[in-house]
Amino acid sequence: MKLSKDEVGHLAKLARLDLPEDKLEKMTRDFGAVLEYVDRIQKVDVQGVEPFTMPAKSQGWREDKPFATDAVTRELIMANFPDRAGDLLAAPGVFEMPKR
Amino acid sequence: MKPLNELTITEARKLLDKDKVTSRQLTEACLEQIRSLDVTLHAFLEVYVDDALAAADRSDERRTRDEVLGTLDGIPLAIKDNMLLQGKSCTAGSKILQGYTAVYDSTVVRKLVEQGAVILGRTNMDEFAMGSSTEHSAYGPTKHPADLERVPGGSSGGSAVAVKANMCLGALGSDTGGSIRQPASLCGITGLKPTYGRVSRYGLIAMASSLDQIGPMTKCAEDASIILEAIQGQDPNDQTTVDVTSSLVPRPSSKTKGGLKGLKIGLPKQAWKMGGLEDRVLENTQAAVGRLQAAGAELVEIDLPYADEALAVYYILMPCEVSANLSRFDGIRYGLRKQELPLFETYAQSRAAGLGDEVMRRILLGTFALSSGYIDAYYVRAKKVQTLIRNAYEQAFKQVDIIATPTTPTTAFRLGEKLDDPVAMYLEDVFTVSINVAGVPAVSVPCQADGGMPVGLQLIGKWFDEATILGTARALEAYNV
Repeated sequence: MKLSKDEVGHLAKLARLDLPEDKLEKMTRDFGAVLEYVDRIQKVDVQGVEPFTMPAKSQGWREDKPFATDAVTRELIMANFPDRAGDLLAAPGVFEMPKR
Repeated sequence: MKPLNELTITEARKLLDKDKVTSRQLTEACLEQIRSLDVTLHAFLEVYVDDALAAADRSDERRTRDEVLGTLDGIPLAIKDNMLLQGKSCTAGSKILQGYTAVYDSTVVRKLVEQGAVILGRTNMDEFAMGSSTEHSAYGPTKHPADLERVPGGSSGGSAVAVKANMCLGALGSDTGGSIRQPASLCGITGLKPTYGRVSRYGLIAMASSLDQIGPMTKCAEDASIILEAIQGQDPNDQTTVDVTSSLVPRPSSKTKGGLKGLKIGLPKQAWKMGGLEDRVLENTQAAVGRLQAAGAELVEIDLPYADEALAVYYILMPCEVSANLSRFDGIRYGLRKQELPLFETYAQSRAAGLGDEVMRRILLGTFALSSGYIDAYYVRAKKVQTLIRNAYEQAFKQVDIIATPTTPTTAFRLGEKLDDPVAMYLEDVFTVSINVAGVPAVSVPCQADGGMPVGLQLIGKWFDEATILGTARALEAYNV
């Protein structure tokens, strides 16, 4: 099957990827080629076949108690913050609607 | 004695135990080789010169006090840039993690360090392990040591070259669809993907969590066994790991003629009769299989149905998991942030700026295959064909002990040759992906008879039967001309 540029653009929006026009065109073409290849699974007879699921093998649950992390780890986590306000992670506001 | 960086782990261990070499000497030899070759080859993204020498000195000290921690104590190794080592940069070959510092140790690296191994540095890879040539690294490609115009394979291309070019004595790679075995094949080294669940993925930057496995890339099968024993095991931090008590001592262990008597090797007609195999690959892998027969093994032609569909199943299932796993790279807590209001724009622009085209392509594919309206026809259907593929392997292993195929359809191709055609690149993995889909172990062993471009033979084992494929690999090494 083939997807249109608009459909690929919609997927990009779902995946939070800002694709400029030229990339969107190339992506749409490549998409077509890959989908054409993977579509061969449509021909396989899967009547009565269950989707594969891994056997659940939980080794038990850890205690639901908060614990303090060590100072080294804490510093490393904070050093990775793209924007830091003291010991807090600074993030953009969440209450505005998307432009597009 | 040959140059110290050209030793295998097995050879180095013997010399260390006899006090004929020190870990410092081994480490310095590797660092010197990196200094001479890596400007050209670009296998390493970062070399931990001071840390490595300090670790080597500590190892030597332990040895003088008779407190050797294990087989790997003092052995210089390289690790792929997607395994966390606390306090060190880790980028998964991506710009979105440029400047990111690992906050904790991955289980595998922690185990290696606890056993005294010397970590030389982190190696180059296709971005987020997506690729078969290391050309998709955001930090530039790695070159093939035998021909600088050719690719080393991927995504563990840096580790493969580090081993082949004797810049380390062994390395770790990761394999989701062939990323250990394919570069091992193209570079001419041994690369093992363990059974899913044998090795912990805790601290491995995830690509497709139900398919990823970490494994050894080494100069010989015995070295692969040594590293695998060091890194395997159940881990409470990765609940897909299994309590592994089966022995890894390669069997059969005999290297004499007739040593493989009783071993049944399946040759799937879907692989061996596939069109499009490079002549050099077919000739050398067929000859290698012939040598295994001369060593006593029985060859059995088998039918491995759904081998044709395995690549399609992989290129649906893997992107689906990728689209979920990579949603954490949103510019908020770590990594590249392109701050814009509203929040949506911060996500969209950070990701578009930090992620390469191949990564975006796979995220989009996964988003598509999981979206309502398409999920049944793609994701769910692929999961059903996965059941069929697993059943096919189960059936095959009722007739034979191991299965052999060429690892890749080609030898190392030219830089740029497959970049414009994603499907051509994906087809490089046509023999490797079904192994990940089924969760079985497989090793690629070099088998070319001349000094030309390397060719790999892939040996596939039953679930948790790494011992038999490693034993067969050792027999092949003994018989290789």
